[in-house]
Amino acid sequence: MLRTILAFIIAIIAAALVASVIQTQFNLAALSELTLDIDINTRISTIIHDIIHFSPTIAVILLAALLIAFPVAYFLAQRWPSYERWLFMAAGGVGLAVAFSVVDALVPMPTLIAANRTLFGFVLMSLTGVLAGWVFDRLWNPRRYELKEPVA
Amino acid sequence: MKTVVTAALLSLLTVLPGHAQVAENNYQAEEVVTGLHYPWSIASLPEGGWLVTERSGGLKHVTAAGVVTAVAAEFPDLYVESQAGLFELQLTPDFDNTRAVVVSYACGTGDANNTCVVRGIIPEDRPYRLTDLQMIFTAQPKKAGASHYGGRMTWLADGTLLIGLGDGFDYREQAQNLDNHLGTIVRIHADGRVPDDNPYLHKQAPEIYSYGHRNVQGLVYDPVRDAVWQHEHGPRGGDELNKIIAGKNYGWPLVSYGIDYSGARVTPFDDLPGLVSPLYHWTPSLAPAGLALYSGHALEGWHGDLLVAHLVGRRLQRFSQDASGEWQLTEELLNEYGARLRAVHVGRDGAVYVLTDSDNAALLRITQKGTD
Repeated sequence: MLRTILAFIIAIIAAALVASVIQTQFNLAALSELTLDIDINTRISTIIHDIIHFSPTIAVILLAALLIAFPVAYFLAQRWPSYERWLFMAAGGVGLAVAFSVVDALVPMPTLIAANRTLFGFVLMSLTGVLAGWVFDRLWNPRRYELKEPVA
Repeated sequence: MKTVVTAALLSLLTVLPGHAQVAENNYQAEEVVTGLHYPWSIASLPEGGWLVTERSGGLKHVTAAGVVTAVAAEFPDLYVESQAGLFELQLTPDFDNTRAVVVSYACGTGDANNTCVVRGIIPEDRPYRLTDLQMIFTAQPKKAGASHYGGRMTWLADGTLLIGLGDGFDYREQAQNLDNHLGTIVRIHADGRVPDDNPYLHKQAPEIYSYGHRNVQGLVYDPVRDAVWQHEHGPRGGDELNKIIAGKNYGWPLVSYGIDYSGARVTPFDDLPGLVSPLYHWTPSLAPAGLALYSGHALEGWHGDLLVAHLVGRRLQRFSQDASGEWQLTEELLNEYGARLRAVHVGRDGAVYVLTDSDNAALLRITQKGTD
């Protein structure tokens, strides 16, 4: 059980960090398109700001999405065990995409996360759910070859 | 030394809530009427009474005795949803002769809507009705979603009309585009024509007067200082008080003192060359809604001050210009009333009228204590 919980938490943290960095790039790109010059130090400080302030938001969305998506993947994997890794990845991606849509339907503004305003951004952000699925299953149920010690 | 310390303490006290409470004792607030449904604006009629718009679509006449009657009105393509709906009614400067008004509202459908302004007539005979509607402005493009319409208006000295608009939330970068109306303040004649001295006549949206706004929620012309004062909502933090000058860029979303609701930075900058910085900003946000210039004398010491109602902040703030011309927060009122406030208006009697924001909202009157 502890392994499951740890794998779940690490999966959410990994996906939240990557999602945060991705959405920062979309926001800064939109400003650059408006002919604004943004130097590398400003870019890095914005990435750090967003990791601190945006990651908790996406982590909550990931938590809600994956608490439903992963059990679904688990039950499907009982039937198709050889596809387990792929099922967790697919469930993570689809789950997060659905969660984004549900959140946007519930909040007053049309789109809560600005990066999700374009299809490209929405797909990239949803792919962090796929990453969460991979990280979770890699830690929770690693394949035999993944556990092999590398020969020095 | 002691005098200096005392003076410093006194100046500190003026910003403490406790002190505002004491000052509030100089005024009395009373409910003129309750039962209004998300009211948005107040206009004082020369014959007495008020016209009140409700965001949910109602136009109401309120008598001095507090009797509310519906004013018959049909707004073409009215769209009511979330922040969308009926916004502000303003009497025209020549209302006493023409009985003409202008009304802003959200028009269109969920997938294609924006801010519209119609001109109409309120004949003197009762019951009141709004007739002869003419569309004088439609913000372009029609966009999806029900957020950020602006909707506040003010008349300039030359009889032209300023209309504050919003960025539609999802379209924030468009506030920098002079070829559409998103995130701008526009200026038109009372019949909708574009004034030939507007600053961007060569662009696709020649109505634009200023741009780079997020969601204009207060707009008032100050005839004594010949200035336009405006406030707008920032995201999380960064609500702004601005002085509007023709042709200027107010920076959204290139600069902001706020961050996005998600916690992400909209922009790393709060100040850049060529962009006008706010005179004052509310961080964290109080969500200002409605702005009035106190031009009366009935409330002592308020003449020439700006009054700002707040939704999230649930209070009325009074700003006074100091010797250097900077706006200073001098007083907070209606804190204890505890309601979201949508609009503030100075009546012909010099009293201040405030609308609360709910499905059972009130019209409040603020007067000097002991002057019934």
